[in-house]
Amino acid sequence: MPAPKLPSTPTLRVWDLPTRLYHWIQVVLVALALGLGFFAPEWLLNQHVVIGFALVGLILFRLVWGFFGSYYSRFSSFVPTPGRLRAHFSGILNKQSAPAGGHELGHNPVGALMVFGLIFVLGAITITGIVTLGGVENWGPLAGFVDFSTGDRARAVHLALAYVLVVMIVAHIAGVFAESQRSRTSLVRAMVTGDKELPKGRTFGQPDGAKKGAALVSLAGLGGLAGVLFYLGVQVPASGFIQMAEMDDFKSECSDCHELYHPSLLPEESWTLMMAGLEDHFGEDASLSQDTTLAIGTYLERYASEAWDSEAANRLRVVDPEKPMQISASPFWKENHAQIPEEVFKTRPVRGTGNCKACHGDAESGRFDDSKISIPEPTPERES
Amino acid sequence: MKRLLLVGAALALVATTNVQAGPREDIVALLMAEASAEDAAFAGFSGERGQILFSSNFNTGKPETPSCTSCHSTSPQNMGETRAGKPIEPIAVSKTPERFTDPEKVEKWFRRNCRSVIGRECTALEKGDFITYMMSQ
Ligand code: HEC
Ligand code: HEC
Ligand code: HEC
Repeated sequence: MPAPKLPSTPTLRVWDLPTRLYHWIQVVLVALALGLGFFAPEWLLNQHVVIGFALVGLILFRLVWGFFGSYYSRFSSFVPTPGRLRAHFSGILNKQSAPAGGHELGHNPVGALMVFGLIFVLGAITITGIVTLGGVENWGPLAGFVDFSTGDRARAVHLALAYVLVVMIVAHIAGVFAESQRSRTSLVRAMVTGDKELPKGRTFGQPDGAKKGAALVSLAGLGGLAGVLFYLGVQVPASGFIQMAEMDDFKSECSDCHELYHPSLLPEESWTLMMAGLEDHFGEDASLSQDTTLAIGTYLERYASEAWDSEAANRLRVVDPEKPMQISASPFWKENHAQIPEEVFKTRPVRGTGNCKACHGDAESGRFDDSKISIPEPTPERES
Repeated sequence: MKRLLLVGAALALVATTNVQAGPREDIVALLMAEASAEDAAFAGFSGERGQILFSSNFNTGKPETPSCTSCHSTSPQNMGETRAGKPIEPIAVSKTPERFTDPEKVEKWFRRNCRSVIGRECTALEKGDFITYMMSQ
């Protein structure tokens, strides 16, 4: 015997498909970006950055949809005015069950506050991220415009905002579950299906739909503008790097015993000291003719770390006063390489802290990009 | 006059014993001239003395490099390695034919390596012996 057909509670399409897709894609991207940012090794920076740019696109979409989406997606439908907030809180205090008013089918005023807050914080995170990328890493559309110290400050803000975001996410999830309890509807399911049950005895007109054409045009316009700005930005050479003349003598004489170190990796004073003492160069005689010594010395002093605004030059400018000629003795170097097992430096193919090239694919250019780092597997000693 | 004769004889010896004269032979000839100038009793280079030079532990230079073998490996035919881990092509001429063909390079490395290992520059006799040994390897 078939069950009698119960009259189903009337539902209303509150969240349109684009809003739902936006929400869940954002969940995934933010989780990935946070995971990569906090836990992944440096060489996955590119992946983190790509996700960041995807989030910029997503935020642009949300801004457009906030004006041209269907009723409940529009910002104007959920502005958390003080009046609405007051009504919402007194509702909670009086243990009234939600929804109390029509607008609560969409975001309630506290939820709305969170939505605006999340969009704002996420936007600020992507902006500070792009500033960091340009200033510190010398990559991306701002590489030619932001200096290292600005980038480094943006990095601190970027990190602080990431913590704020984590706290907000926790609060957001807690709020969703609390409100689900209170209103006896699953807000999570509503964000999946898009539908919310209508409160008994109340009727709602079908909310007006999205202005798809206007949304598409504005999105194309904004996206195009962002694309053009990005394209123009990346054409500008990175400000951290200068044109460096080639010098054959330096290249050949200083690469006989080890890889060629980029002049930007030590300050001027260190190079001067080194070139004055080649007869005892790290326990070895590396002497050159007087002319060659002078020429290489002048070259190194000219292109010493002071001349560059790259990450490596900025970080490695501070040397160990006891060992001012050893890059791998500087405080930054030691701190940044402390996690690498001693074993890696003792075995092939690295064989020593000075073999930057073994792990930094771009060591010769002085860039030392995060994405070019890879620690090689220690290999067994080859037979000689 | 006697010296000059000796130099002439040395050069002639080089010219006759080496079928094809080349930059390496020129370097050896010059070392011969120098060696006989340093020591009147000079009677030619010796590969055996070269071998001893190559494998001796001097311990009179820098502590990190007691011997030529510290970097050039214990056999001239094998790949060597600098202290910083960079590979060095075998020092033996049979393995690395370009060895001892660039006078400036030869001079530079004898100066550096002898000072590092022995604590002084090598004499012309030592250099000639070393090259003679490596040519036989
Ligand atoms: C005769 C061999 C030799 C030559 C030639 C030589 N070096 Fe070195 N260099 C060494 C050794 C050995 C070390 C120490 C490596 C170690 O401890 O791992 C070293 C270390 C260095 C370091 C420190 C690397 C670190 O670990 O931080 C710098 C910088 C450096 N050399 C620069 C130069 C420059 C510039 C020249 C050219 C003028 C030069 N070297 C030529 C042998 C040489
Ligand atoms: C055994 C591999 C290895 C060697 C050898 C090595 N590095 Fe690194 N380096 C790394 C790793 C891994 C990191 C990332 C550390 C982290 O997690 O922050 C790094 C980070 C750096 C950074 C910071 C880059 C950034 O964007 O954060 C600089 C600069 C750097 N290294 C310079 C050097 C120099 C100069 C040398 C040679 C004197 C050298 N490294 C040798 C593995 C190595
Ligand atoms: C600290 C490491 C080291 C030690 C010790 C060392 N050498 Fe060398 N030697 C080198 C390097 C590096 C080169 C240059 C690389 C190459 O030619 O492949 C070289 C090159 C030479 C050359 C130039 C060869 C040529 O192709 O012209 C001579 C000659 C030489 N060494 C002699 C000696 C002698 C003699 C000793 C011992 C007294 C010695 N070396 C010890 C590292 C060393």
